[in-house]
Amino acid sequence: MAGKVKITSSKEKRRNLINCVIAVIVAILFLFPIYWILAMSFKSDAESFGKLVTYYPHNFTLEPWIKNFQDAEFLSSLKNSICIAFLSMVISLVFGIPAAYGMGRYKVPGRKVFLLTFLVTQMLPASLMLTPMYLIFNKLHLLGTYLGPSLAIASGSVPFIVVTLRPYFKSVPTSLDDAARIDGCGVFRSFFKIMIPAIKTGVITVVVISFLGGWNDLAYSMTFNVKPDMRPLTANIYKFQSKYGTKWNCIMAYGAILVLPVILLFVFLQKYIVGGLTAGAVKE
Amino acid sequence: MKMSMAAKKRREGYTFILPGFIYMLVVLGYPLIYNFVLSFRNVNVKTFKGGTDVFVGLSNYIELFHNETFLMVFKNTFIFTIGCLVVQFTIGFIFALFFSKKFTLAGPIRGMILVGYMMPMSVTALLGKNMFDVSSGVINDLFMKIGLINAPVEWLLNGSTAMIAIIAVNCWVGIPFNMLLLTSGLTGISTEIYESAEVDGANPFQRFLYITLPLMKPAILSVLMLGFIYTFKAFDLMFVMTSGGPLNSTDVLGTYAYTLSFKQYEFSLGSTAAIILFACLFIVGLFYLRLISKEDD
Repeated sequence: MAGKVKITSSKEKRRNLINCVIAVIVAILFLFPIYWILAMSFKSDAESFGKLVTYYPHNFTLEPWIKNFQDAEFLSSLKNSICIAFLSMVISLVFGIPAAYGMGRYKVPGRKVFLLTFLVTQMLPASLMLTPMYLIFNKLHLLGTYLGPSLAIASGSVPFIVVTLRPYFKSVPTSLDDAARIDGCGVFRSFFKIMIPAIKTGVITVVVISFLGGWNDLAYSMTFNVKPDMRPLTANIYKFQSKYGTKWNCIMAYGAILVLPVILLFVFLQKYIVGGLTAGAVKE
Repeated sequence: MKMSMAAKKRREGYTFILPGFIYMLVVLGYPLIYNFVLSFRNVNVKTFKGGTDVFVGLSNYIELFHNETFLMVFKNTFIFTIGCLVVQFTIGFIFALFFSKKFTLAGPIRGMILVGYMMPMSVTALLGKNMFDVSSGVINDLFMKIGLINAPVEWLLNGSTAMIAIIAVNCWVGIPFNMLLLTSGLTGISTEIYESAEVDGANPFQRFLYITLPLMKPAILSVLMLGFIYTFKAFDLMFVMTSGGPLNSTDVLGTYAYTLSFKQYEFSLGSTAAIILFACLFIVGLFYLRLISKEDD
């Protein structure tokens, strides 16, 4: 009897090991591009465009990173990226979170129409909005500003926030805000003091994802801000590609700098991001 | 005057919902309608400045469907979308099944491979451009080292291989995303059903065919439809990796609409192409909405 248990457990151990090995291989394949962008960014000029492909930097150098950070154009693009990401995030949160709360807690007439609107708008592609928005923003003098692209980006994040946070708000027990009301808390006070802290996990998710929505944007910023000095890093990729030519090490360092905040957020807040992605996309 | 409790509640609800809703109507709804209007007029850089554009009926639509480049772009969009869907769904499903097994590294690695999904698509595209480069690209080097090819392939320099490269890069993002969505469908199936099937003598293949697939049907459908919607509207990837080239062979509706509006300044034609893109999404979107609205209230 005891012997049999031992056999199955060693069999299970072997199966566990085999599965782990397969998983590691999958991870290596999928993470290789991330490794590659970093490896390229530390190579010398000659090594990065030579015919001989090297799998790690043979002459490790920080030069490509330094070159980017010494470049005034790069620094202004970085500033633009940060400004657009923050502005679009703030707009998204200000309009999105209260709407999610209203949709989750109040049975108002017309809520089906509201929900449908948010679900549909979440799926609209940027390329559909570029031309009309460009012409409208042109009349409103919003081209070449941070506000133009930020408004457009937020129109994608607001519905995401509503769809993601609505179930969170729904799941908070009503006794919680009833108690707050009895204690004399107004509607808005209980929204800020009770409800938002109660769904902290969800809020962190939408903060991160709406920030990344702005940080990752290419189409809107590129179209509405024609001049490079108001464009974020994503939209100036082209300019730097032609500037550096075949100096892939500098281009990759540029890309690595764009990816770095994403990786950091991902490493530290992974469970929030992953949870939020599923909540927003599929509902059983 | 005292409001009834219900009326007060309603007003509170609207106070929270309406700002967000109105934001969407103004920032997205209005341009969307304007886009339809544009597609029936002849707005280009000249007529826009002078305000001399006129109503032209369906002539923009007719012009596009008689334009060979547009037809090619239309076809490319479907080839790209279907290619991506097949690969990312199949591999994504296999990964979902594999990572739903209980082993030590299942959780951490499943999370780790999602990082590509969060990256700016423009950087992913840049990376793709580098990796698929003819002479200094790592893909050619690796494939030659393991004997898959004898000579470097000019991936991005000819049409059909450029499409393959684009699809491959997109799947790098799509596979983990499909895996994630399918995993959440898998975890909904109770293990008891599998155990009782095992007792009844069902082999793993039968269990997959008769238990997993039918129970996963809603999740599978929604992943496929969402996948279609997200893939069909691709823009950043082609824009940075190939600029739609060589010779429009990787141009899709999203990038072509941009070219019409912002390189040729034919705003009305650009909107028309975008409306056609929208129409395709709309059809699939309707099915998707019907599927998920079953759940509500």
